[in-house]
Amino acid sequence: MNQPTQISNFTLSILVANRAGALSRITGLFSKRGFNIDTLSVGPMAEDPSLSRLIMTSSGDEVTKNQIIKQLAKLYDVVDVKLI
Amino acid sequence: MSSASDSSGVGAGGNASGSAGDTMILNGAAITIETLIAHGVTDVFGIPGGSVLNLYDELFSRTSQITHRITSHEQGAAHAADGYARATGKVGVAMATSGPGATNLVTGIATAYLDSSPVVFITGNVPTNLMGKDSFQEVDITGITMPITKHGFLVKDINALEETICEAFRIARSGRPGPVLIDIPKDVQIAETEFLGGHPLPDLPRRQPDQSELQAAAELINSSQQPFIYAGGGVVLSDSSDLLCQLAEKLDAPIGLSIMGLTAMSSTHPLYLGMTGMHGLPEATQLNAEADLIIGIGVRFSDRATGNINSYREKAKIIHIDIDDAEIDKNVQADVSLHGDIRDILPLLIELVEERDRRQWLDHATDIREAMRDSILAPSEAQASGLTPYTVINAVRQRTDDSTVIATDVGQHQMWVAQHYAFNQPRTFLTSGGLGAMGFGMGAAIGASIAKTQTRTVLFTGDGSFHMNLNELATAVRYQLPIVVVILNNGVLGMVRQWQTLFYQSRHSETTLDRSTDYVKLAEAFGARGFSVGDAHGLNEVLDQAFSSSEPVLIDCRIDPDSQVFPIIPPGGSFIDMIIA
Repeated sequence: MNQPTQISNFTLSILVANRAGALSRITGLFSKRGFNIDTLSVGPMAEDPSLSRLIMTSSGDEVTKNQIIKQLAKLYDVVDVKLI
Repeated sequence: MSSASDSSGVGAGGNASGSAGDTMILNGAAITIETLIAHGVTDVFGIPGGSVLNLYDELFSRTSQITHRITSHEQGAAHAADGYARATGKVGVAMATSGPGATNLVTGIATAYLDSSPVVFITGNVPTNLMGKDSFQEVDITGITMPITKHGFLVKDINALEETICEAFRIARSGRPGPVLIDIPKDVQIAETEFLGGHPLPDLPRRQPDQSELQAAAELINSSQQPFIYAGGGVVLSDSSDLLCQLAEKLDAPIGLSIMGLTAMSSTHPLYLGMTGMHGLPEATQLNAEADLIIGIGVRFSDRATGNINSYREKAKIIHIDIDDAEIDKNVQADVSLHGDIRDILPLLIELVEERDRRQWLDHATDIREAMRDSILAPSEAQASGLTPYTVINAVRQRTDDSTVIATDVGQHQMWVAQHYAFNQPRTFLTSGGLGAMGFGMGAAIGASIAKTQTRTVLFTGDGSFHMNLNELATAVRYQLPIVVVILNNGVLGMVRQWQTLFYQSRHSETTLDRSTDYVKLAEAFGARGFSVGDAHGLNEVLDQAFSSSEPVLIDCRIDPDSQVFPIIPPGGSFIDMIIA
């Protein structure tokens, strides 16, 4: 099966429980698995201070992109991951 | 991100404390131990220290409900808790103090993580007011273990402690199991709050298999001429051996197991070909390579199992069944993937597939076995003046039951056991498959023996691996565990030496140990019995004594330093690169 290996840029919106170490866990996941973080911004959700919203841009091929989303979704602190 | 201390916890809901007659106020240490007991924990492994004094003080008064075993080193405790979990399927528990106690757990945590073993690790830490100041015996253990745990908690608020421990157990056992760490600063162990009973939380919901995925998988299977089932640790973890057999029998399809999958199928089953991969048996690895469809069940298609990934899947379509969605399309792109629990998926899949007779495809395996297995065994048997790994393994097997738990360390002995020991019951083979941690076996054997109410356990190890954690012999003696330690002693770091022989022009850099360890005296010094043997006659005599003993026994079996593990597929190679002898 031929997989598209073309590198693209993409943006992720990640909803995270506002707990100690959550950001570290997410960035640690990227370094551990060799994924790129191009930009990152984070702030508490106005409507629910127990959650934070991370907006991240990353890059990679289709396989990498899917892996990033799946690996993020596995983290206990991550409530939701969306490609935007 | 805010600190953990502001998270709302149990018991903070504003009940007027003390107004209700049944309110139970406990300190953090008592809440921890009571919550363990409420989770059915009867055994913990660990070593006390300054930051866990309060936890151990609570253990002291609950010895009728929960038994703590002290190991020589925290790594041994971690492997023991892991071995306990692997042998039973229950969540294992290990405890350690802050700083060095916690860091000594790290290899054990990584071992559990790479092999998806459910273990809860509890560490003490310095009081919260001393954290972050490089205080005595302070390390950031949640930070250190972040990449090798399913999750880690630093509990700074006494009101969050009980629910955190319950959550840790739920995470460790739900979905794909794995280790969870709970770090509890000393002041949190001392602080008091209401205890709500420590009731276990329900497992996290399982994703139910998708009907269209099931149909697609069944279509691929029904149109396949030469399907091959490659099954792994997920089958053992989900206790799905019966379902695996049913599927294989309906398809009349051969099965190869990854090292973590060993025991998922009885060695006596006619469809079982053996371990597949780098050191897999020729018939298993060759059919794996020639299949037009690989049905991967609870496997992660690791580099040691597949070799060169492009040639691995050149001829075959792939169906991948796994509980961890992130495993699907990670190492190999699946044509059809079934994300969910094997227990849920296989019954539905078995319904949808057609019953077949694949005599020709299976006869092919028999032909390979007959043509090649002799050539693999022959070179070693030829050196038969002394002991060979096969004679030792077979002699031990003659004295064990199908239910006897076999632990190994890592290296040549591990592969010989994986290839040739006849496993017939799930959860009877404990090995560090993913991390490949030499030193795993002694702790794991202790954990398994205790898990099975002090039953006979066998550790196959090498002289290199055994030297890494032989301190735990003291633990086996202290608790009078009937563990038979079989050292395949070749005087070298055999697997590394083998690679040097094959791939580094026999430049044996630092793999000849030249140690003068006297294993008989060593065993006796620890309070165990020790034997040294160099021929088959002596071996049988010693094994008879060892297997009638109720104490730990160490047997030093002298084998040839040039014994090699065959077949071997060089790293990154494929089936056609297999070296037979």
